[in-house]
Amino acid sequence: MARQAKSPGRIAGAAVNWQAHRIGDPVERLKFLRKTVGDRQPFSPVVIRNSGFWKNNRGKIALAGTLLLAWPAIQISQGVSVLLSAVPAVSAQSGEAETFPNVWLLESGTTAEVWSNGLRIERLFETANLPSRFEAYPLDPKRAPVEMSAPVGIVYHTTESHLAPLEENQRKRLKLIRETLLGFIRDNRSYHYVIDRFGRVWRVVRETDEANHAGHSIWADAKYGYLNLNRGFLGVSVETQTAGSGDETPATPAQVHALKILTEMLRSKYRIAAGNCVTHAQVSVNPSNKQVGYHYDWAAKFPYVEAGLPDNYTTPIPAIWLYGFTYDPSLVNVTGSRYWQGLLRAESRLREDATAHGARPEDYRKALSQRYGTLFERVKAKAEASAEVRAISTKESTE
Amino acid sequence: MSTEVKQYVGLDIGTSRVVAARKSGEVETCKSQLNAFVKLPHAKMTEASLTRENVPFSVSDGHIVVYGNESAALADLLGREVRRPMTQGFLNSNEPESLAQMEEILSSVLTPGEDGDPAETRICFSVPAPPAGNQDSLTYHEATVRQVLEKLGYSDIRSINEGVAAVYSELAESNYTGIGVSCGGGLCNVALTYMSVPVMTFSVPKGGDFIDSSAATVTGELADRIRLVKEESFHFNGHYADKIQQALTVYYDDMIQTVVQGLGDALRGSRQVPKMGRKVPLVLSGGGALPDGFKTRFERALQSANLPLPVSEVRMASDPLCTTARGALVAALSE
Repeated sequence: MARQAKSPGRIAGAAVNWQAHRIGDPVERLKFLRKTVGDRQPFSPVVIRNSGFWKNNRGKIALAGTLLLAWPAIQISQGVSVLLSAVPAVSAQSGEAETFPNVWLLESGTTAEVWSNGLRIERLFETANLPSRFEAYPLDPKRAPVEMSAPVGIVYHTTESHLAPLEENQRKRLKLIRETLLGFIRDNRSYHYVIDRFGRVWRVVRETDEANHAGHSIWADAKYGYLNLNRGFLGVSVETQTAGSGDETPATPAQVHALKILTEMLRSKYRIAAGNCVTHAQVSVNPSNKQVGYHYDWAAKFPYVEAGLPDNYTTPIPAIWLYGFTYDPSLVNVTGSRYWQGLLRAESRLREDATAHGARPEDYRKALSQRYGTLFERVKAKAEASAEVRAISTKESTE
Repeated sequence: MSTEVKQYVGLDIGTSRVVAARKSGEVETCKSQLNAFVKLPHAKMTEASLTRENVPFSVSDGHIVVYGNESAALADLLGREVRRPMTQGFLNSNEPESLAQMEEILSSVLTPGEDGDPAETRICFSVPAPPAGNQDSLTYHEATVRQVLEKLGYSDIRSINEGVAAVYSELAESNYTGIGVSCGGGLCNVALTYMSVPVMTFSVPKGGDFIDSSAATVTGELADRIRLVKEESFHFNGHYADKIQQALTVYYDDMIQTVVQGLGDALRGSRQVPKMGRKVPLVLSGGGALPDGFKTRFERALQSANLPLPVSEVRMASDPLCTTARGALVAALSE
């Protein structure tokens, strides 16, 4: 600790301290310090030491410190700002290359598939739907949309369906309920995958096709924004209900394990970024009132870590920072506090972006909202066109 | 597209009081309201009386809701307990009307006439440090307060840790290096800053409410009565006038010991604390620090704690009830 404390901050710090004492007005002095030393950034000698920055730059820093003592306040401010900006930013996400699991197909038959990580996929209820083609919208609005077809993400759902007690004397009832549920999901093309009460994984809609699981929804990664995730995102639903589960996840241990190995397989197969594996509550929006959280399955208690993923509840909700959506505070009663981490961070990001654009947050939000409106109309028109194509092809095949 | 900021407001959103500080020319003013309300069945006569007496109230669902400073007196008059929008430093999740009443109380201290156009006002509000393992409560609290302020028309909204606000208010002379301790109704917040940068913040869930309820339990008195005694006549003089005074002394000591111990643990456990090279000042603020003799008691506790960071002096804030709001105002002005 003692060695850390003699970190570069002491030399530059002494200079800044000296200069600050020369500023009489307390507010101006604070303004100078916040601008110079860094606003609300945790003072972390550890970060500087670990980065090797001090070791590599101690000569420059000592020289800068000496110069600082002789320069007027404004020059000191600029000088130290430059120094600090040279310290590499430490981020849990940036700079870390995404790694993907390596899962391969072991056996494939008409009724089931088995994968190298032990995943078995039941195919008895498998069905087709329209091929999934979608547009990804670059975060830079000046760039043109990119046409894609392979899945780029996963949305997790709960079936919120009727559940029988997990008891031996309920076997017949449990089986009947499951098959009724799977039949319903197949007829409505609701999800790509369903994980039943016992952790068995059922493929319903083929991965290459769209499923009606996310409706009006938004997500984004570092490159693109995605709208209406029925296409481009795979829907995985867990047969469970979220109400009345207390603080625990409503998924059984077998379901959590199935979530993990299914996610592994899908991420391996399509190289899906871990940050694009999110819950329905995080992506669901209501375009009419421009609020997030229209559906709130898995708004809390999704076992991210147990499923082999980072805690994506902390990811800023893209609908807010990218397309200017808002939220209703009463949502917290049903969502729980984990969801709110993403909301708060999204609001912060929106404000930071607004500042960077020299705009008031409300004006910036309005501009984002207008952008969403344009994209929404575009997606809607495309969906209507494909529905027409589908109707025509159905008619032709009937004739 | 951006609007010029013409007014600045610092806001202390505490469990027991909400205080707004603003600066007009060289003059700083503070306006505070009790963060509490009482709900009464609606009656025309009551409504007329309240209107005549200029008591702030709202009417909804067949009830009259009196909030702020007058709510305590009215509750006492009617033999009721006041209800609190906040508890333990955060929005009270067990109070169904917390948001609605918070909005009313905030409106009453943020008088538009005094602050000008909210859209041209930069407002900075205080937030507590979350108690260990309870980060989520801060997330929700901060987001919700922000939304209430947005609803009131503010767009340039900032937040500041309560302990850091104490430093910004009182420790300009040491270049904003030192320890700020804010003893509030729900929590005691502590922050160590180095040249204005927060190095370490934490809170302990022992504040005025803890003292009141604990003393009430052992004396068999009502917590409200304990609070009255505490605010009107309590002091640390070493001689216990009665059982209530004795109980208050015990629990005040408990609070001080917890804060000092927490400070020692945090300093010893943190890898981010730089070597200051000199002793740092510590400032005490908040309603909990008001009793005579509190500073001496705190100094004694510090001396026996043997902190890894030496303290040059313990000082009382110039206006302990307004310190956090003033610090938030300074933060808003210095953005």
